[in-house]
Amino acid sequence: MINTLLLQAPAETTRYLVAGYTVIFGIMSLYIISLVVRTRNLKRQLVMLRELDQERK
Amino acid sequence: MESKPRMLTILDGITILLFLTAVGMVFFYAPLEAVMGQVQRVFYFHVANAWVGMLGFMVAAIAGIAYLRKGDRKWDIVGLSAIEISFVFFFTAIVSGSIWARGSWGTWWTWDPRLTTAAICELVYAAYFLLRQGIDDPDRRARFGAVYALLSFISVPLTFISIRIFRTIHPVIIGSGGSGAEGSFDMSPRMLQTFIFSLITFSIIFADLLWHRIRLGKLAEEAENLRLKTLQ
Repeated sequence: MINTLLLQAPAETTRYLVAGYTVIFGIMSLYIISLVVRTRNLKRQLVMLRELDQERK
Repeated sequence: MESKPRMLTILDGITILLFLTAVGMVFFYAPLEAVMGQVQRVFYFHVANAWVGMLGFMVAAIAGIAYLRKGDRKWDIVGLSAIEISFVFFFTAIVSGSIWARGSWGTWWTWDPRLTTAAICELVYAAYFLLRQGIDDPDRRARFGAVYALLSFISVPLTFISIRIFRTIHPVIIGSGGSGAEGSFDMSPRMLQTFIFSLITFSIIFADLLWHRIRLGKLAEEAENLRLKTLQ
């Protein structure tokens, strides 16, 4: 009876669930952070380039 | 650069809400699968990530056609943005699939037709970024990008149909697969609802990220033009 119940229990795979969602959330977060950082840096560059352009004029 | 459009702010809010709901459904609404156990829950976002990958590669191919027909650089920005997002999501699909495989098949990787074609597809698009970087002239780069996005798209349907035409151990979720599939399962109504909700949510995430990435692309173009002007 106990053997039958044990055989029917789902496999213990929680650590792979944790690993899978760590990767999914981790990569998504990194990509969003990269978008924010690149946008911020480009805005700074644009301010600087516009100032240079004004000085040239 | 214009301020963030109100529609984009609304879309950001909707996206966050949908994403949190999808996460809730995956962990608390979808039932535990009887054989694989908890690792089966990886399937919902694994497939959704792969879907975003394929969707973006298709958008890039369409943007490539639009660029070749009209010559407008905005289509190059759309194509590059779509490929960048899809590259990230497709990579996530491959890695999360590998983790699922370890829990389900007992191996991190096997040279199965689906895994092989997916890896080739990802490498083909990795080359897109490397080759683009080697071209200085923006118009030539855009023309190259358009042609490359079109040609590389061949690898996408090939990846999709690989599990339907070759003997494979990868499960087929939509349609029927081969008898050799390992890790297949019958979806209960709650599993199916979670699966479809995840696909819709990730499509909205893609649209939201694409909008943000296109805005970034326009900023980069403006900076490049100003830099060239300053150098002259």
